Amino acid sequence: MNVIAVVFSAEFMRRVRSRAFLAGTIIGAASILLIAILPSLLGGMLSSSGKRVVLVGDPALTVAAGPLLKHDFDIAATLPRLDAAPSPAFLDAHGKASAVAVLSRGRDGLHVVAYARDPSAFRQAFGRDLAPLQVALAIGIPVQRVAGHVKVTVDVRDVSGRFANANAADAAKGVAYLFVMLLYIAILLNAQSIMSSVAEEKTSRIAELLVAMVDPSQLLAAKILAAAATGFVQLGVWVGTGMIGGRAVTGMFASSDASSGAAGAAGSATFGALEVSSGEVLAFLAFFVLGFAQYGVLYAAAASLINRTEDLGSVAGPLVVPVVVGIILANFGLQFPNAPSVVVCSLLPLVSPFVMFTRIAVSTVPAWQIVLSLAINLATAILLAWIAGKIYRVGLLMYGRSPSFRQIVATLRT
Amino acid sequence: MGTLVLSNVDRSFGDVVAVRDVSFTVPPGTTFGLLGPNGAGKTTMMRMILGILLPDRGSVSWDGAPVDLAVRRRFGYLPEERGLYGKLKVREQIAYFGRLHGVMPPADTKRADDWIERLNLTQYADRPCAELSKGNQQKVQIACAALHDPELLVLDEPFSGLDPVNAETLLELLRGLCNNGTTLILSSHQMWQLEDLCKSFCVIAGGTVRASGTLEALRAAWPTRIVEVEPVADPLRSVLDATPGARRLPEADRPTLAYELPADADTAGLLRRLVTAGDVTRFERVDPSLRDIYLRAIGAAA
Repeated sequence: MNVIAVVFSAEFMRRVRSRAFLAGTIIGAASILLIAILPSLLGGMLSSSGKRVVLVGDPALTVAAGPLLKHDFDIAATLPRLDAAPSPAFLDAHGKASAVAVLSRGRDGLHVVAYARDPSAFRQAFGRDLAPLQVALAIGIPVQRVAGHVKVTVDVRDVSGRFANANAADAAKGVAYLFVMLLYIAILLNAQSIMSSVAEEKTSRIAELLVAMVDPSQLLAAKILAAAATGFVQLGVWVGTGMIGGRAVTGMFASSDASSGAAGAAGSATFGALEVSSGEVLAFLAFFVLGFAQYGVLYAAAASLINRTEDLGSVAGPLVVPVVVGIILANFGLQFPNAPSVVVCSLLPLVSPFVMFTRIAVSTVPAWQIVLSLAINLATAILLAWIAGKIYRVGLLMYGRSPSFRQIVATLRT
Repeated sequence: MGTLVLSNVDRSFGDVVAVRDVSFTVPPGTTFGLLGPNGAGKTTMMRMILGILLPDRGSVSWDGAPVDLAVRRRFGYLPEERGLYGKLKVREQIAYFGRLHGVMPPADTKRADDWIERLNLTQYADRPCAELSKGNQQKVQIACAALHDPELLVLDEPFSGLDPVNAETLLELLRGLCNNGTTLILSSHQMWQLEDLCKSFCVIAGGTVRASGTLEALRAAWPTRIVEVEPVADPLRSVLDATPGARRLPEADRPTLAYELPADADTAGLLRRLVTAGDVTRFERVDPSLRDIYLRAIGAAA
């Protein structure tokens, strides 16, 4: 067993046994489960009461409008007229409805006045659903005929042949977004723990013992690998929880009505019906490891420069910037995966793990670009580990004050 | 078994020169004492021996070859500032440092248990190190440094924080290691412990070597004579004070009148004058102690 394996196994066991890891993993899994379940639950609640409306107006209008609104609303009651502006008590008395819609016909066609508990929630859906009635009134043909013609079936095909339809492309974006967020969370949580570990060893003077028998670069590598492995375990628990939770929720709401089905489908797109190819998983693992390694060594080197654990925040702050830039660029990558600027960013160290993975998930990336990006990231990780190892050696033995920039540069030359 | 050689070693930190042109040799199996005031450069020297710091100039060699990582793993180190993982249990901690030094399972745990027993730590074996007293943490640290039977064991102030009983236990352990052929380099401000344990010494001050060699060689090179006179009485003290070139030595560790005389002083004449002045129960020419040698060397440095 070489020394990297010894440090790795000790660090890994120390991490997974820690209360912080257990608490973080459980809280994270619970949060993911909540995120998976929440849309469906909210969808269910909205379907049962949030979208219940009372229709008021000439029966000729309300009869025609009823079927059109059923796609988005439940009709709680239909009334010929209102005696006064409806109050919340009036809504409660009519099946706890969310709104009253008063339909009338004026010179410029159909006119709707809605009295709603939440005024912002109704205008768009009402306008869209009642558009066929407006057309029918204007040109004088039955509303059923108009309704049959206002819906245009759009069949979007992917020119690259990568996705079967628009839904598959949307799901790929979901996968890309999910995995980018997982990388982001893993870096933030585990890089912080690398920093704490390095700071603990420095402030408790264990570092002096370690560098007497272990090469600082090897020590750094072992610590970062252990943190990455811990991150994988945590991610595994979270992804597993998300998928199981998503499937359970999808199954639970599968037999619900149309409106709740929309929410259930949202859950399944994210977790339940998650379709990830083995190539995507491999790409994610490769970019995860390389991205994590680059940030890990930077965080460890930074932590070796501080003298008090209270100073960790001040050195960690600047290192969050490239992570955030990576996420922003990944969002551009979702929209324009093959734009020249996005292609360039997918080759840049530190940000490319976010951007390249996004491109791989939502488009067909030439193999040479993937290989080049992996090579650049690997070379950067090795270079950063070498530089960080030197900084680490100097920083660990500097007590009382942080080494100056000049000292660090001088150390790199030796 | 190797010989440690430091040749013309320099090390600076910015504008501060910590060690300047230091050379000495530690033969195999020797117990070597490093003495010097605080800030003299002892710790920097130890760190260079262990490869934690690299010399700006000069070389450190073990068995005729540079001290690389493989050699360093065969060394043991007890730093002045103790470092233990607070949450790790005593047995796990000792075994972990054993593995880092190349003692693989299951030998790591077995040897850890042996050391726990030797150091009377059995009742603490499964407790986190943070819960132990400073003295017991010190013992754990010593076990971490010596579990792998190092060829060279470097101990920076190993007796600090230990009560007299535990200090004696440690002395016995170090004697045992020395008898088994381990080369020991240790620094301490406890002169009697160093004098008891070490065969060779190096006094360092201001980053430079002020005196080095075996105690016998250091005594032989002592430029003056020391006489001790009893009882401690004013008439006798007056005679000694009036002797040309005589310098009174600190009496802290001597219940006698101790004076340093020029090498060519007439000691027979002095004895006659003392007998005339009062009752002399003891008149002895003694060798300088390690403390005397140290203080003279440091004084020279000052």
